[in-house]
Amino acid sequence: MKNIYLPHLAEIVDIKQETPDIKTFKLKFKDQAVEDSFDHKPGQFVEFSIFGEGEAPFCISNSPTRKSGIECSVKRMGKITQALHELDTGDTVGIRGPYGNGFPIEDLKNKNLLFVAGGIGLAPLRSLINYCLDNRNNFKSVTIVNGARTSKDLVYKDEYQAWEKARDTKLYLTVDCQEENWTCMVGVVPKILEQLKPTCQDSVAIVCGPPIMIKYTMPVLLKIGFCPEAIITTLEMKMKCGLGKCGRCNIGNLYVCKDGPVFSYAQLKTLRYEL
Amino acid sequence: MIQKIVTKEELYKLLNYLLQDFEVIGPKELTNRGIFYETIKNPQDLYLGEGFTTEPVKKLFLNPSEWFFKCQYKDSKNSLEEIALTKTKRIIIGVRPCETKGLELLDKVYNSEYKDEFYVNNRNRTVIIGLSCAKPDRNCFCTSMGGSNVESQGTDAILFDRDGKFILEIITDKGKEILGSIGNEPSEEEKKHWQQDKEKRKDLVKTKIKAPEDLDKVFEDPYWEQVSKSCLSCGICTFLCPTCHCFDLVDEQRRRLRCYDGCAFVDFTLQASGENPRPTKKERYRQRVFHKFDYFKKNFGENLCVGCGRCIRYCPVKIDISEIVDKAPV
Repeated sequence: MKNIYLPHLAEIVDIKQETPDIKTFKLKFKDQAVEDSFDHKPGQFVEFSIFGEGEAPFCISNSPTRKSGIECSVKRMGKITQALHELDTGDTVGIRGPYGNGFPIEDLKNKNLLFVAGGIGLAPLRSLINYCLDNRNNFKSVTIVNGARTSKDLVYKDEYQAWEKARDTKLYLTVDCQEENWTCMVGVVPKILEQLKPTCQDSVAIVCGPPIMIKYTMPVLLKIGFCPEAIITTLEMKMKCGLGKCGRCNIGNLYVCKDGPVFSYAQLKTLRYEL
Repeated sequence: MIQKIVTKEELYKLLNYLLQDFEVIGPKELTNRGIFYETIKNPQDLYLGEGFTTEPVKKLFLNPSEWFFKCQYKDSKNSLEEIALTKTKRIIIGVRPCETKGLELLDKVYNSEYKDEFYVNNRNRTVIIGLSCAKPDRNCFCTSMGGSNVESQGTDAILFDRDGKFILEIITDKGKEILGSIGNEPSEEEKKHWQQDKEKRKDLVKTKIKAPEDLDKVFEDPYWEQVSKSCLSCGICTFLCPTCHCFDLVDEQRRRLRCYDGCAFVDFTLQASGENPRPTKKERYRQRVFHKFDYFKKNFGENLCVGCGRCIRYCPVKIDISEIVDKAPV
């Protein structure tokens, strides 16, 4: 029997400063056999150890179709993220996982995909977006609505060009307030969706962002005509074990770590989850 | 099942013999403190009378704090050193039936999908000799939770004190292995008497409650706010519960530590962003009740409560879960 709480050691091989308070860490497992066998689905997460500080869950933001190391984008928020932001390339961290259900890729096939992201909420969606673009024939149109408080808070900026150029793919960027030299859209994500009115025909909306954004986005999507089953979101919750044992991340009888973090809006309604 | 009549002296003698190969743990009365599970060096120290241990037997399987691994720093590179599991065989004697039922419920979490090797190892290295309850108190409601104060419910053997002697029922092969040769077989008449006695003992659990089938319906009811008003968020109910099993993972002295945690605490679900899905006592107490009487039942088919009464006995503000569940406005 294995110690299910024991992480694998990994080295930070690259750090990219995305925004003033968000960094993307690229990792490589020290054990080549672990590196080779590690496989994940878009939407899954890992338990990330900073030894001496503790462990925290972060979603894997790279697509499994682009394997050059696990990438996690982390916003400086609390004790562990602060400690992580102070690490350098070459430092050793621990990784357990991947955990969680991931996005229901089979259900997305041959659908128009509407990605709605706010701030660092783009991280789990980036994994899925790149997965879909790398398997382009399996999906219909791709529309990405990505918002941030300011242009400085937009993440993965150097991928936007590739997304815009991809076949049958549209990218809409928005910031909350008008800025100098900003040529894209202005307004919070739900407002932008109301203006754009993306098609709900044969479509699935995949939403991730801060709770306040999700809360106001859901009614707009319903108004446009998306049914609750066709709205998918991925939730954040305080987690420790990632295995459905430590008891804090449940919504009703389901554990976000084990049964989620990806849920349909229809599921959340039956679980009486208040957005 | 094998039935035997055993005198106290015979039991002590056997335990003395078993002490050579086993760690023996059992209830011991500590001055000014109460009854606690302690390692027993002299079987006469065992307390097999009425009353209940303050702490549940859970703590001998799921340690209040447990190191998972050490982290070594060498040349600024980390390496992880696993903590060796204790292999010592042990006998825990004097465990009440409700507590072993609690272990069977913990098995569903820790010894099923994603096995917890620390817990499983503790289970595998232990033989449990139960002790039936001749004097349940008014806080006990095991029979309402599908349990029993007399039947084995997951012990390897069980003792019943009767007329200054013990009736011993040996249930499992593990129990037979260590207890097989002890005592005398009761006569048919004694067996009949014993069966009648057993039935009588079952009626001694006076508190009867109904565990609602459909708590789900009253999730939004103001009832949860009323019943949790006096809660101090001290968490004693969760630490002393034989089935509460929530934990925290923290790093201390370069080691990863698991320690008890509980839904009563405000920071249990508090996120770094400041979001908290259970911001007030209402949501936290409701979580405790729902985890036990709704969510666990949906996931595993049973209530996550054995009716041992500890959370009622030790609650500083006398919150009574049996009453709260019984009177839930379903």
